[in-house]
Amino acid sequence: MLSFILRRLGQSSVLVLIMSVLVFAGMYVVSDPVAVLAGDDFTEEDRQALARELGVDKPLITQYLVFLSNIAKGDFGVSFVYNRPVLDLILERLPATLEVAVLAISMGLILGIPMGIYSGLNREKKATKSISFLTTVGYSIPNFWQALLLILLCSVWLKILPASGRGDTTDLFGIPVSFLNWDGFSHMLLPAVNLAIYKICMQTRLSRSGTQEVMYQDYMTFARAKGISKMRRIRRHLLRNILLPIVTITGLELGGLIAFSTVTETVFSWPGIGKLLLDSIHHADRPVVVAYLIGITLMFVTINFVVDVLYALLDPRIRYK
Amino acid sequence: MTVSKYTLVTMVGLMALGTAPIQADSLKMAYSSAPRSMDPYPFGGAPTASLKEHVYESLVNHDDSPLLAESWSWTAPLTLTVKLREGIKFHNGADFTARDVVYSSCRMMHRIDGKRNLLTSSMGPIKDVVAEGDHVVHFHMKAPYPLWTQKMKFLSILSASGATTPEGAIKYDDKGDCGITNYPKRDQFDAAKASIGTGPYKLVSFDKSGSAKLVRNDAYWGEKGAWEDITIRSISNAGARLAGLLAGDFDLIENPTTEDLDALNNNEQFSFTSVPSWRTIFLVLDVNKEGAPGVSADKPGNPLSDIRVRQAMSMAINRKAIVDRLFRGNATIANQLAPKYRKGAPELPELEFDPAKAKELLAEAGYPKGFELSLFAPSDRYANGSRVAQAVTQYLSRIGIKISLKTQPWSVFAKARKNREMGTFMYGWGHPQGPAQMISFALASRDKKLGLGSSNYSNYSNPVFDKAIKAWAVETDEKKSDAFVKDAMTQAMKDLPAIPLYYQHTIWAHRSDLEITGRQDERTHAAMVKKK
Repeated sequence: MLSFILRRLGQSSVLVLIMSVLVFAGMYVVSDPVAVLAGDDFTEEDRQALARELGVDKPLITQYLVFLSNIAKGDFGVSFVYNRPVLDLILERLPATLEVAVLAISMGLILGIPMGIYSGLNREKKATKSISFLTTVGYSIPNFWQALLLILLCSVWLKILPASGRGDTTDLFGIPVSFLNWDGFSHMLLPAVNLAIYKICMQTRLSRSGTQEVMYQDYMTFARAKGISKMRRIRRHLLRNILLPIVTITGLELGGLIAFSTVTETVFSWPGIGKLLLDSIHHADRPVVVAYLIGITLMFVTINFVVDVLYALLDPRIRYK
Repeated sequence: MTVSKYTLVTMVGLMALGTAPIQADSLKMAYSSAPRSMDPYPFGGAPTASLKEHVYESLVNHDDSPLLAESWSWTAPLTLTVKLREGIKFHNGADFTARDVVYSSCRMMHRIDGKRNLLTSSMGPIKDVVAEGDHVVHFHMKAPYPLWTQKMKFLSILSASGATTPEGAIKYDDKGDCGITNYPKRDQFDAAKASIGTGPYKLVSFDKSGSAKLVRNDAYWGEKGAWEDITIRSISNAGARLAGLLAGDFDLIENPTTEDLDALNNNEQFSFTSVPSWRTIFLVLDVNKEGAPGVSADKPGNPLSDIRVRQAMSMAINRKAIVDRLFRGNATIANQLAPKYRKGAPELPELEFDPAKAKELLAEAGYPKGFELSLFAPSDRYANGSRVAQAVTQYLSRIGIKISLKTQPWSVFAKARKNREMGTFMYGWGHPQGPAQMISFALASRDKKLGLGSSNYSNYSNPVFDKAIKAWAVETDEKKSDAFVKDAMTQAMKDLPAIPLYYQHTIWAHRSDLEITGRQDERTHAAMVKKK
């Protein structure tokens, strides 16, 4: 197991390094922070001075080496736009993203798996057909359009949920979170549902196909022949066997939600990190974009690692050497 | 069961109140992009300025009238003497005096972690700021700087009581040290601790995602605010912003899309107000004789350097159709590079639309079959920007110019512009600093001392124009200055190194029981919103 972890660490550092070179060079080629920041009344001299102060007047290689040596010191740099440490910017927005992502994933699991198992077990029922239809629709609706429909339905017509923003927050260990009071939670619901719809559909389909496969296995028939109750057969024998792909996908999807909920965060103006990424790309704020994507790479590596470990726990046949 | 008549009446009354349009005196506004900080100096841009103007005031108002200043005059060619209004108090009760102006100038120049405030450029040629008594300030310049009377609006006035200042007079220096070591930091401004201004509203809280809460400053020296409290939020997606208005989350939103205006018109509860802004949208043409990036013809040289070609391009564009169809009337045809309703701007004759004559001019210039041209436009910067660029592309191709349109995100576009990689591009200028600042930057020959020509991407150079703009750059007399602006603008419109298209309107969608006066500088301020 130890060698497995070490090998993983080695691979990830190379990955992060490649990532940083790509993003750094990409941002350098595409946009110029001075051009974006300088107002229309900046003289040529003002622009040059600004470039000096931001450190973007030096050659790309020098800038990159400075960046690497700063990271070695634990300094991810200072945002060009906000002139504040990048890590602060990301960390103060992370909780907002995390709580919505976790809520959305939970909705996906709690609603998706039972629906999937139900439709896997009852192939001919009407409910199964409606579930199948709904998941197809849910799969296909573009995210931003679905978001606007949700706002139209819940905020404009029914007026039951707020259309945007984060609402009141409660401090939990000094971190402001929304889910501990009703106002904050009601603001969370629409963005979470918007993210969850796709997840619910996916989990439903995954667990349905898993169920259909496992249901006809010999051990299921045997368990039935032994007279084990239906609920126990589903819990002990079916569920455990369909969970493997679900765990993998859920891990990756959680990562995706944390990293790239950009559209949902923009439409609901939810102040999370996805919106930060988008704004930073718009403003040519390279330090933020680079640090963000490095952080995201690290997160995916970690999630994959955790998923691998969970595999071993769920399926005793899998062992890492 | 005895329910008295009065109870019933009260209940009916309450129910009527319940449907009353606006609760108490609260105003909820949604901006289309997020203010970045409550520290008034580091950032330019409309959203930050819109928010901060509720809290801080400057010597001069957005419409160039005196605000915290009572009057000003040039007491020497390089000295502007400003007389301050008396009896004004900051939110913390401190008196507003000349010392605060010097302090604010110092804070503007002060660099945080070695980085300049983005508004500092406006302070460029200022050598010294000196207080004389409590209500007179002298601004001494290194070089002639008549524009300072306009640019003073960027210098938000903070209270010197926000920092420990030295005994006696504060000595200004252009590093912003001024003997002050503990300037309030940005965090303290954002936490509403250091945000002490003289404005009609006081900051209660500011969130870095761009929301803010304000309350009325009941001790305000001018006309008191109409709203007890104000909530401002920022929603960048236009659809979500409109939904927020329809859902009752907001009383007023900025910048609905042109498509949504019909729906607002047909809804009794909501309406919109469209006000011509100073922002002028125009095409910049690189007139360099040697050639321009993205421009090629079957004979040597740059077709854009021929004045007949530029006139032809201007004549080919049907501005009226753009304004009427793309904007449904919510834009104004432009005849010059700063609207005539901008104070100090001249009034020039209309620019012709005549595609037949345009074709003749092209042939006369030696391009009967046209030439090739890449037109660049930012896709996410101006309302309907991409569609206007498409329309222009069509008009120009009708007279035979083979045009390829390249729309790009602003960050990419801005870099290409700075590096002079675009021979023809669409751009907009908001003119907060008077009608001539743009042409002095974008069309004048480079003059370091007077600060001219820094953004001359047209590579335009005309002695008549330069003479007028140089005279303008040092002229402190308003009338003479306006005459120079007229000379310069007239010459520019003869030569057309930049082709004006239209003046953008700023649109606010709001509850129909509100009346919006609107502002021409694209800012959204509670003072322009009143109950009907």
